[in-house]
Amino acid sequence: MNARSLLRRLMTALARTPTIGIGIASLLLVASLALAYHNEDQARVEKIREVEAQARVLAASLTGPLAFDDQTATFEYIEAMKASPEFDAVGVYGLDGRLVAGFARSGEPLPRTNKVARSTVRGNEIVVAAEVEQGGTRLGSVYVGAATESWARRAGRYLGIAIVLVMACLLVAVLGAFYASVSAANRRLEAEIAGREEAEEALRQAQKMEAMGQLTGGVAHDFNNLLMVASSGLELLERTTDPIRRDRLKDGIRQAIERGARLTQQLLTFARRSPLSPEVLDVGKRIRSLQDLLERSLREDIRVQFDLAADLWPIEVDPSQLDVAILNIAINARDAMPDGGMIRIGAQNEPAGGDQRHDMVRISIRDTGSGIAPDLLEKVFEPFFTTKSVGTGTGLGLSQVYGFLRSSGGEVRIESRVGEGTTVFLLFPRSSQPLPRTAARDLSFNRAKHHAAVLVAEDDEHVAELVCEMLRELGYNAKRGASAAEALRILEESGPYGVVLSDMIMPGKMNGLDLAHEIVRREPDLPVVLMTGYSEAAASAAAEGFPLLVKPYTMEALGEVVGQALRRAPPQPVP
Amino acid sequence: MAHVIRSIALLALLAAVTGGSWAAEPPIEYAVKASYLYKFAPFVQWPATAFAGPSAPLIICIAGQDPFGHMLEDAVRGQRVNGHPFEVRHVDTVRPGMPCHILYAGGGATEALQAVASAPVLTVTDGGQGGGIIQFVTVQGHVRFAINQAAANGNGIEISSKLLGLAVKVTR
Repeated sequence: MNARSLLRRLMTALARTPTIGIGIASLLLVASLALAYHNEDQARVEKIREVEAQARVLAASLTGPLAFDDQTATFEYIEAMKASPEFDAVGVYGLDGRLVAGFARSGEPLPRTNKVARSTVRGNEIVVAAEVEQGGTRLGSVYVGAATESWARRAGRYLGIAIVLVMACLLVAVLGAFYASVSAANRRLEAEIAGREEAEEALRQAQKMEAMGQLTGGVAHDFNNLLMVASSGLELLERTTDPIRRDRLKDGIRQAIERGARLTQQLLTFARRSPLSPEVLDVGKRIRSLQDLLERSLREDIRVQFDLAADLWPIEVDPSQLDVAILNIAINARDAMPDGGMIRIGAQNEPAGGDQRHDMVRISIRDTGSGIAPDLLEKVFEPFFTTKSVGTGTGLGLSQVYGFLRSSGGEVRIESRVGEGTTVFLLFPRSSQPLPRTAARDLSFNRAKHHAAVLVAEDDEHVAELVCEMLRELGYNAKRGASAAEALRILEESGPYGVVLSDMIMPGKMNGLDLAHEIVRREPDLPVVLMTGYSEAAASAAAEGFPLLVKPYTMEALGEVVGQALRRAPPQPVP
Repeated sequence: MAHVIRSIALLALLAAVTGGSWAAEPPIEYAVKASYLYKFAPFVQWPATAFAGPSAPLIICIAGQDPFGHMLEDAVRGQRVNGHPFEVRHVDTVRPGMPCHILYAGGGATEALQAVASAPVLTVTDGGQGGGIIQFVTVQGHVRFAINQAAANGNGIEISSKLLGLAVKVTR
């Protein structure tokens, strides 16, 4: 582990500065050169010793023949030396110092008298002299010249090692440089990826906001209609006493309010800034839920028809991106039909087969508009390509569709005929995950069996009044606090309460979430239900695990959530 | 071969100049024998008792007829064997117990050999006369020698195998 981290540090250092690698390589080179020199020196010393030993052996053998002039024996010894190619020259000198016998293989002849005092190296030759003596009596001397290894041979011997060494050094340097360049490239790439992710995130949001902008006009117009229905309905309600008529008017008002609530809810969900988070969903249900939004964002002269197969496979995509994609295509269709027409949104399963390798779910959005010329058809998915006039489109709509489909593992196709209309096909791969189970609604708890007390923390007086009225209608005792602090005070003074219902955004130091935390800290068994109209606040409440009521809500929803909260909590004594 | 002839010729010249007994024997042969006589010493091992001390002289006794003149003295001058300088003595009669390490018994010195029998003395004889441990012989005009190792053993001296290897004949 330690060695590994050391190695890693070394490699990192190498990566930082390739010169360290080159430095190490040169150091190795110098060290090996020094080693080679040392070896060479050792070898030379050993060689001298060896030749000296051989000269002494020769001298010892020659004592008799030299003392008693035995030429034959002397020549025999010299011939024996001559047989070894190692010896270049061997000379035997008598007591008077003159040459008795010997040979010189090449180069200069043997010296006439043996004057070699000690072993010396002359060029490529080691010259050694040895005394011939017996019993302390000097009888003569020998001269031996032995060839050292030639430079060429020695160089040859070292060349192999040197090549390997140089290659190793080169390898170290190249690896260092490579690692450095790779890690630098990696750093650049990481920075680029981070930058791109940010840009993509921003682009997604911009695309959503553009779609929002496209929608707002239609939605505002529609909202006015709803408000018109509600206000005129109320007015008429005040003037009539006919119970049948009153009921009809009340129904109309309720429906208008429900539609308005759905619409704002969708807009909030739609505009929420959220990272791409795919979930398994039922495409048919999702598309159908877009109906209100679509009908209101398109013009009145455009009809929307759905043709959704019943048993669609689940797909795994980001729902809000899917909404944006369909809305973008629908808005393009709307703009292609200035004189009105029909948008037909279909969805069906496409089993694997032919060119298609996987099971897919195909969504088709067909319009009866002007169509797109073939030469432009290829360009429609490019960012900032638009045929709309300046100020009406950014050219980001279909590029969002393209990017979304690519990131979801699907594909997008477009077919168009000028004058007849355009069809956009979105293909999503079938998900192997099952659909998440939706909780069955429990309607049996609409009316509370016991009169539990509910504390309502809500700053808006009108909302608070209505909520308390609804709670009372459901059979609960309701008490209101106008802020978090007041709610805590009431909780202390008059209790106990079965459940606390708190708005999330409230004036004062504490917001609804802080209040919920404080209550949990004080009374862990007391359930807290949060309510809000803001989708971001809703997300944080959900993340904290508190049950949530999204405004506006119906009495039915209120009863259900409060009832569930009470059932989860241990039984409370009735005040 | 050429230098051998040359060196012998030189020795001859030296002998002529110094005025050896040219008339009686060919002086070259005796110059060689004189040189050999002292060169035997390094190849021979005397018992330690044979020397009075570590630098006591190694004595070469010449008994009977002296064929060397001063050639022997010239040859040994300045030479040492195992720290012992050489000393040449001319003796008329050899008696037992005489301090001799090498005894050259010239012609007619038979009684001298008997006098040193079983004493640590290397006896050398010449000219067909036998009885010595080493006997000079002439083979094809070259001075060689024969060794009687048994006699050496009898006298309590050891002769190096190197010397034995050079002998023309070794009697064991």
